Amino acid sequence: MTFTSFEFLLFFPAVVILYNLCPKNLRVWYLLAVSYVFYALMQPVYLLLLVAVTGVTYGFTHWMGKTEDEKKKGRIMVVGIIFVLLPLFFFKYFGFINDVFFSCLRLIGINCTVPAIHWMLPVGISFYTFMAIGYLIDVNNEEVDIETNIGAVGLFLSFFPYILSGPIERAGNMFPQLKKMPTSQPLDLSSGAKLMLWGYFMKLCVADRLGIYVDAVFNNIPQHNGTTLAIATLLYPIQVYGDLGGYSLIAIGAARCMGIKIVPNFNRPFFATSMSELWRRWHMSLINWLTDYIYTPLSFALRSWKVWGIVCALMLTFLISGIWHGAALTFIVWGFVQGVYLSIEALTQKRRSALESKYNLTQKWFYLLICCLVVYLLFAFSQIFGRCVTLSDAWLVITKICSDRGPVFIDRATFAYGGLMVVVLFIKDFLSEYHTDFLFGFNSKHIVLRYTTYILVLFLILLFGVLDSSQFIYFQF
Amino acid sequence: MNRNEICEKLTVIFQEVFGDNSIVLRDDMTASDVENWDSLTHMLMITKVEEVFGIKFKLKELNKLKMVGDLIASVESKLQ
Repeated sequence: MTFTSFEFLLFFPAVVILYNLCPKNLRVWYLLAVSYVFYALMQPVYLLLLVAVTGVTYGFTHWMGKTEDEKKKGRIMVVGIIFVLLPLFFFKYFGFINDVFFSCLRLIGINCTVPAIHWMLPVGISFYTFMAIGYLIDVNNEEVDIETNIGAVGLFLSFFPYILSGPIERAGNMFPQLKKMPTSQPLDLSSGAKLMLWGYFMKLCVADRLGIYVDAVFNNIPQHNGTTLAIATLLYPIQVYGDLGGYSLIAIGAARCMGIKIVPNFNRPFFATSMSELWRRWHMSLINWLTDYIYTPLSFALRSWKVWGIVCALMLTFLISGIWHGAALTFIVWGFVQGVYLSIEALTQKRRSALESKYNLTQKWFYLLICCLVVYLLFAFSQIFGRCVTLSDAWLVITKICSDRGPVFIDRATFAYGGLMVVVLFIKDFLSEYHTDFLFGFNSKHIVLRYTTYILVLFLILLFGVLDSSQFIYFQF
Repeated sequence: MNRNEICEKLTVIFQEVFGDNSIVLRDDMTASDVENWDSLTHMLMITKVEEVFGIKFKLKELNKLKMVGDLIASVESKLQ
C-alpha cells in the first residue's frame, strides 16, 4: 500500500478516526501497531529488521544513559552505530563492495569470488537507519533525553507517514510530540488535508506526468538524439521535485492530521540563487542530517586548514550523500559533482558577495533570474548521474547532448498536460516565494475562493493525474 | 577581559568573516539574522574566534551554541 493507492484512501481516514477515539495513553502503541501493519503490508519479513534496529537503538541509548564515563559512552555509541549500520551495509552495499573488491583482485591476477546476494532492499532502510544513528549521536552529545518508552522509540523509527521515504526525522522533534499525542484539532485536519492535496497534485500531475516522457527517453538512451536527451535532462529535476516533494507533503500532511508536526523537506528549491542555497531548500531533512552528523564534525576536525578544511569536509559529506543514495559509481560521481559545485562557491563566496553589494545585484530581478537559471542548469547536469544506471550511460547522455542535434521526440499529451501542470506548480511557488503577503488559493481569506481552489486542484488531479498507483522514486533508496 | 571587550572583538570577527561592516551583535542574534552566516562560514568564524582569543572549543560545546549570547558566554567562561 502506497500513498497513491486506492487502499490508502480508505486506510488513512480510518486510522485518523480511530486515533482520536483511542485513549491518549495508548495512542503511541496504536500508531506503532498501525505503522507496523502499514510496513508489513509491503514487506512482512523485513518488519523483523525494523524491530531489531529499534531494539538495538533502545538498548544502546539506555546503556549510554547508565554510563557516567564520557569516553566509554562514546565507545558504546560507536558500537551501537555499527550494529544499526550492519543491515544497511549488508542489504545495500555488500554486493557493490563485493563486485569492486573482487574486480580489483582480478586485475592483479587473483581469481576468487564470494557469491553475490540479490535480496530485495528493505524499503525505508536508509531512512530509519539514519534516524536511529541521529538519535544515538544526540544522546551522546546530550542534545536529547533518553526515551524510556520503547513504544515511542519504535514509533519514532517506523511512523507510517515517513517510514518509506522520509523526511528524515529527529529525536529532538519527535519525542516531545509523542509524549503529548494530541487530539486532532480542526486546524490540524484542514492544514493536513491541504498539504496532502497539494502533495498528490505534485506527485500525480507533475512527477508522474513528466515521468512518462523522462523514463521513455532515459530508458532508451541510444535511440534518442542529444536534443531530446537535453529536454529530458531539463525535465528530470522537476520530476524528482514533484515526486519526493509531493511524497513529503503527503507525509507531513498525514502526520499533521493527527496533530504531529514533521520537519519540512523542500522549500521551493528552483528559486535558489546559489548551489548552497539550493541545498538548503532541496531534501532539507537529509541535508540537515548530513550537516549535523557528518559535515560539522568533519569541518571541526579540519578547521586548522581554514577554507580548505571546509572544502575537504564538503567533498566527503557529498560523497557520503551520493553513497547513501545508492551503491553505484553513478551516485559517487553525483556526490563528487555536488561537492565540486559547493567547494567552488565556498572559495569564491567573498568575491561574489562583494560584487553583489557593490552593484546592489540582489535587488535586481534579472540578476536573480540568471542565478536561478544557472543553478538549475548545473543541478540538472548533476542529476544525469542520479538518473542513469551506469557511468557509460551518463557519459553517452553528456556526449550526445554536446554533439548530436536533431528533431525532438515529442509526446504530445505529456508535453501539453505536463507543461500545464508545471506552469501551475511554478506559479504557486513563485507567488509563495515573492508575494508572501498575497493570500491566494488554499490560503485565501475568502471561503468561496478557498473551496474553489480545493475543487480545482482535485479536478486537475482527476483529469491530468497519472492514477495507476505508481512507485515513488525514493523508495529505491 | 570583560564582556564588552569580548563583544567588541567578536563584532570585528563577524564583520570580517561575514563581509558586512554594519553587523552589530545582539545576544539573541542567530544565523538567520546575518546574511552569509551558513554552515560553511560558521566554521571559519569559530576558527577565527579560537585564534583571536587563544581558546579551543569542543564539538559538544559548539553544538550547544544556539545564539550569539551563548557564544559570548562560552568565550567568557573559557577566558576566566
